[in-house]
Amino acid sequence: MTDPTPPAPAGRPALAPRWVPGRLRGPVGNRHALAGVVFVALALFPAIRPHDTYRQTVLLLAFLLAIEASSWNIISGYAGYISLGHGAFLGLGAYTAGIVATRLDVHPLLIAPLGGVVAVVAAVLLGLVVLRSRGHAFVIITIALLFATQVLVVNLRSLTGGSDGITLPLPSWPAEFQNIPFYYLFLGLLGLTVLLSGWIRRTRFGTGLLAIRDDEGKAAAIGVHTTRYKVLAYACSAFFIGVAGSVYAYFLTFLNPLGAFSILTSVTIVLAVLVGGRGSLYGPVLGAFVVQIGSEQATVYGGSSQSRVLIFGIALVAVVLFLPAGAVPTAAAWWHRRHPATVEYIDQAGALARGQLARPDRTTPTGTDPAVDPAVDPAVDPEAAPARAAGQPRLVVRDRAPQAEPQRRALLEISGLTKAFGGLVAVDGADLTVRRGTVTGLIGPNGSGKTTLFNLVGGALRADAGEIRFDGRRIDRLRPWQRGHLGIGRTFQLTRLFKSMTVLENVVAPLPDARWRALLSGAVSGPEAARARDLLDFVGLGRFAGQPAGSLSYGQQKLVELAQALMLDPRLVLLDEPAGGVNPSLVARLVEIVRDLNAQGVTFLVVEHNIPMVLELCDPVVVFARGRVIAEGRPELIRRDPAVLDAYLGEDWRPPAEPADPEPAEPKGVR
Amino acid sequence: MIEFVQAVLLGLLIGGVYALMSSGLTLIFGVLGIVNVAQGAFLVLAAMLTWWLWHSTGIDPLLAALLLTPVMFGFGWLLYRTAIVRVRGMPASMSVLLTFGLALTIEGILNVTAGNRFRSATPSYFDESFRVGALNLPKPQVFGFLAATAVLAALYLILTRTWTGRAIRACAQNPSGAALVGVAATGTAALAFALGTATTGVGGSIMSVLYPFFPASHYDWISRLLGIIVLGGMGSMPGALVGSLVLGLAETLTATYGSLQWSTLVFYAVIVVVLLVRPQGLFGARLREDALP
Amino acid sequence: MAVRLPGPHRPSARRTRLLAGLVAGPLLLLTACGGGGSGGGGGSSTGPIVIGISLPLTGDFSQPGTEAKRGYEIWRDLVNGKGGLLGRQVQLKITDDGSNQDTVVADYTKLITQDKVNLLLGTFSSLLNFPASAVAERNNMVYVEPAGGAPTMFTRGFKKLFFAQQATAPRQADVFVDWIKTLPAADRPKTAAYPTQDDPFTRPVIESMQKQLEAEGVQTVYSTVYPADTANFQTIASSIAAKKPDLVAQGAVFEDGVGLARSLKQANFSPKTLFQTSAPSNGSQYSDGIGAANTEGVFYTVSWSDKAKTPLNAEFVAGYDKAYPGKIPAEDAADAFAAAQVLQAAVEKVGKIDQTAIADWLHGNEVQTILGPLSWTETGEPKGDFLLAQWQSGRVEIVAPKDVATTGKVIQPKPGWH
Repeated sequence: MTDPTPPAPAGRPALAPRWVPGRLRGPVGNRHALAGVVFVALALFPAIRPHDTYRQTVLLLAFLLAIEASSWNIISGYAGYISLGHGAFLGLGAYTAGIVATRLDVHPLLIAPLGGVVAVVAAVLLGLVVLRSRGHAFVIITIALLFATQVLVVNLRSLTGGSDGITLPLPSWPAEFQNIPFYYLFLGLLGLTVLLSGWIRRTRFGTGLLAIRDDEGKAAAIGVHTTRYKVLAYACSAFFIGVAGSVYAYFLTFLNPLGAFSILTSVTIVLAVLVGGRGSLYGPVLGAFVVQIGSEQATVYGGSSQSRVLIFGIALVAVVLFLPAGAVPTAAAWWHRRHPATVEYIDQAGALARGQLARPDRTTPTGTDPAVDPAVDPAVDPEAAPARAAGQPRLVVRDRAPQAEPQRRALLEISGLTKAFGGLVAVDGADLTVRRGTVTGLIGPNGSGKTTLFNLVGGALRADAGEIRFDGRRIDRLRPWQRGHLGIGRTFQLTRLFKSMTVLENVVAPLPDARWRALLSGAVSGPEAARARDLLDFVGLGRFAGQPAGSLSYGQQKLVELAQALMLDPRLVLLDEPAGGVNPSLVARLVEIVRDLNAQGVTFLVVEHNIPMVLELCDPVVVFARGRVIAEGRPELIRRDPAVLDAYLGEDWRPPAEPADPEPAEPKGVR
Repeated sequence: MIEFVQAVLLGLLIGGVYALMSSGLTLIFGVLGIVNVAQGAFLVLAAMLTWWLWHSTGIDPLLAALLLTPVMFGFGWLLYRTAIVRVRGMPASMSVLLTFGLALTIEGILNVTAGNRFRSATPSYFDESFRVGALNLPKPQVFGFLAATAVLAALYLILTRTWTGRAIRACAQNPSGAALVGVAATGTAALAFALGTATTGVGGSIMSVLYPFFPASHYDWISRLLGIIVLGGMGSMPGALVGSLVLGLAETLTATYGSLQWSTLVFYAVIVVVLLVRPQGLFGARLREDALP
Repeated sequence: MAVRLPGPHRPSARRTRLLAGLVAGPLLLLTACGGGGSGGGGGSSTGPIVIGISLPLTGDFSQPGTEAKRGYEIWRDLVNGKGGLLGRQVQLKITDDGSNQDTVVADYTKLITQDKVNLLLGTFSSLLNFPASAVAERNNMVYVEPAGGAPTMFTRGFKKLFFAQQATAPRQADVFVDWIKTLPAADRPKTAAYPTQDDPFTRPVIESMQKQLEAEGVQTVYSTVYPADTANFQTIASSIAAKKPDLVAQGAVFEDGVGLARSLKQANFSPKTLFQTSAPSNGSQYSDGIGAANTEGVFYTVSWSDKAKTPLNAEFVAGYDKAYPGKIPAEDAADAFAAAQVLQAAVEKVGKIDQTAIADWLHGNEVQTILGPLSWTETGEPKGDFLLAQWQSGRVEIVAPKDVATTGKVIQPKPGWH
């Protein structure tokens, strides 16, 4: 068996291949080269045929649509927030140029960057307010805002000229140049837009956006500051449209509110991106060309029939029904079906054969081993935890100085937590403490509120009453990503991986902090990739790194999710039914993994229905029923507690007579 | 004072008609979770058919509604089976795009067949009013209000007293549960969509008398209707009623005492504010879901 | 167990080149076809004279656009029947701009630079003529437009733009104001209401009228601007009815004129004088819309009357009736015909197709059209007066100016609603 990735030698960064996020490689190995060729050809066109004004005009309008489409793709393709009002930014840019040019007598082209700035400011202000809604609510709001902007522009006559519109001066260059300057301006802007879009794809920002699209709640849980990302994406999607709008105003020489804020502009953008492929880099550009040139041909050849709107409507319906993914992704998918990648089956024997986890070398840069150094106690001074030096590919977890058995410090304290949904009280004044360094089990009948409790701790839900303290600090008002940054990790009952990314990209996705610089860094850096590989190896899925996450089995996904949660070096990991759907021998492996990590200082809170596993692994065990804790204690005691049995098995059940049973000295194996 | 009472009355009458038009939209959203942006186009289509019937046979437009309702019902059912059903699994935005495309298609077909001219049906009473003291109650508005009330009452009865209606409501609340008790999900969904579309049969025929319309009028209507159901609570019938009355009043009062030009902004402002501050509207149910703060 | 890891695919370089060729090829093909040469009113000097026109045959302005097309075509048939223009047959190249500004720009650009038409004629509506005229001006071609009277059209310093109606919007209602001034003091309106749509064309008409009448001492009791998509006129009608003005002057486009008239009836108020822009000029559509009996006494201004005894008017009406039996031409068709007449006169007088000479001639001369005599200032604005029309007994009569009036009778005050 060959392993193309050599293990990292100590102290040097791993030689991980540089994975570019997004699609797997498609039929065109270097689509960027192809795009470059096309760009050069387009740039040379006016030089070859300088007097072909008609075709130049058609092409420059196609460039404009492509600018709009590529920009729209950033918020709606990458982040998944479909906006049907994006044409408003074009109008804003156009009106900026019109107003400033006519009032201050400035050349409109000089105002173009200002048009972009105005669009960005509007996007940020709107985004902060509007990006809190999701799904169809967001789409409706964008439509409403577009119409509202139109009404505003009409009514603010003194500023915008109202429905009379604004006239701009004719272009200042000699008539022989016709539209050639506009051609190059739009082509240049298109190039910049595509570069921006491509660059975003390659950064953690881009990965974060894709994560938000796939599963926003999960993205928040792994440390992605979703609000910031969304607003930033919205702003990025507005800038070049605003600039293009200013240039467009100069091109039209006449602006009026109905034309500048027409919903058909926005719908054309959407159609173009749908045709080309939402979420891909060049798809929107391709789609824009198809739609613009197609519509021009329709006017030329079918011009006298009254069917423009009809053709448009049919095209939109057809694309949504029959080609929802768009041309580029559909073509790529077809190609992949013809050239299937080999699907790996889990290397069961290999995974189990790892047996004893290869303990990572735990020497720190300071040369001490914190496990035996009581002076370094993160419980007292979190900052003293060994820093992860750049290029250090170790699986280093926060260490904990061993303390006396009886009373460990509380890491997570829940007091009086209550959450109701309408009339149903899911969590009813729950009090729970998870002590540092334990593997605390949380069991209880279905519907007792355990998952709700997890959601409250993780931040996906806000409690109606009560407090949650993590390491002494109140966290119940913090957003999910802030809790992730503090050191809470979580897996989910139904796995929530990002299906559009590979396994490695999934594991690399979590963000450890909220620094802006992190946004701009490359999506998968060397050290991170190496650490992710280590984690994947740790759970036995190392050879799946390049597979799309959606192609894994349920049990495999659970393991990947665990690796993902570990990426942030959490102090507390919430495991929601980790053994569900996993075969028994892998359950044993899981128990081993949890024990290993626990020995290195990670605290666990485990919800499970697999009682034997819980009794073996967890101590203490907390029993949850009807929204509150009804018992807590050592597993052997819990097992026999009548109240617990009541809650689980009903009032009529009686325990069978048991022979005297000595307390088990060691944990039993899993049956 | 009289002016105020007149304005309020007009607002209520208009609100009643809006209630009828928005009931279909609310029903479709409540059961299928689809925002049918094409509802405005259905109204215009029904109005056009009514006009054509009236123009060729002289039949009173409100009576023509009796013919048109089953026609629109069938149309809706067919549309669901062929197109709408295919976007049920997809994200919400795709259904908005699809229905928008349908609206454009209908507008286009009307453009081609009927031409882009304003039309309105003018039966004998179209410009008359009932006089009550110093108040004028325009006859078309009054008849429209009565027809709207009748249809809403009928809808309510259907949804609460018939098996089909209960099936529809069951599907809305819990599709898999409904399937378990013998409700055929696709068939019921188609029925719900068809029922929602059928209301436009009456709504459209009223519209043909009240307002001149042309194929692109659907934009004006869908903005109003969206504002109404967002305010009332998407999926709540009483909400649609209350929302309609509130917005009908707001529109009339703004037009009387404020400025007409800003009165259209009212609808959009309502949409944005409500969706952000209280997304379930006045009467909608707060769903149990991961609500990001 | 398979061991091959998915790695980056590296298809052959050949395939990349092939695809590059497939994409670049059509682009090169695109460049290879079609003619080259310079832009601007070139065209051939023998063979038929081609006139390029873009019209809104679909979309919001499709109705006036279709009428304009008819007007142009009837003119073409008349001219060709008489031997053509400068001895050459006239061909019209008409495209549809779908009432869309982008399309009208692309259309005229194509007509000028690709099809190399000899002459241009304008499209309908200020909104479309604005950008279209800029294209023409940039290409140094004369642009005679049948519509587009918004005042801002003429503040751009264009040298080759001409409006083929008697007056721009702010001056259109002058003839009505003049008529009011002829009334004895006791019969003049004391109070007036001015509802207008927020439209670049109708609004200046009403605003100008309001200013002039206020200077004459007519008190404004109500004035409002309503958005274009207003469908419900009850509130406006109630407000007007509460104030009971003698004169109601509405800046209407069409359906709002019908809507307000109906609502006034429902509000049980009939003003002594009712003036509306545009709407009442739509013939049977208008009378069907508000009821034939209710049209009695409604005033409006118009650029053309089918009964006027202006040059070629009878032929125009006859030609229209032949092509569309039983129908009276709409004003838009007449305006288009007149625009074509303007162009024709200039070309014939100049003797050749020279855009600058044609423009100079038009600036300095008057053209007799079916609308009457037309002449222009240096900005392209016409100097003239509209016609004041009134519905009487179900027909339209011209009541002012006196020299083109079709009847001496003026109905005043307006009878109540039926």
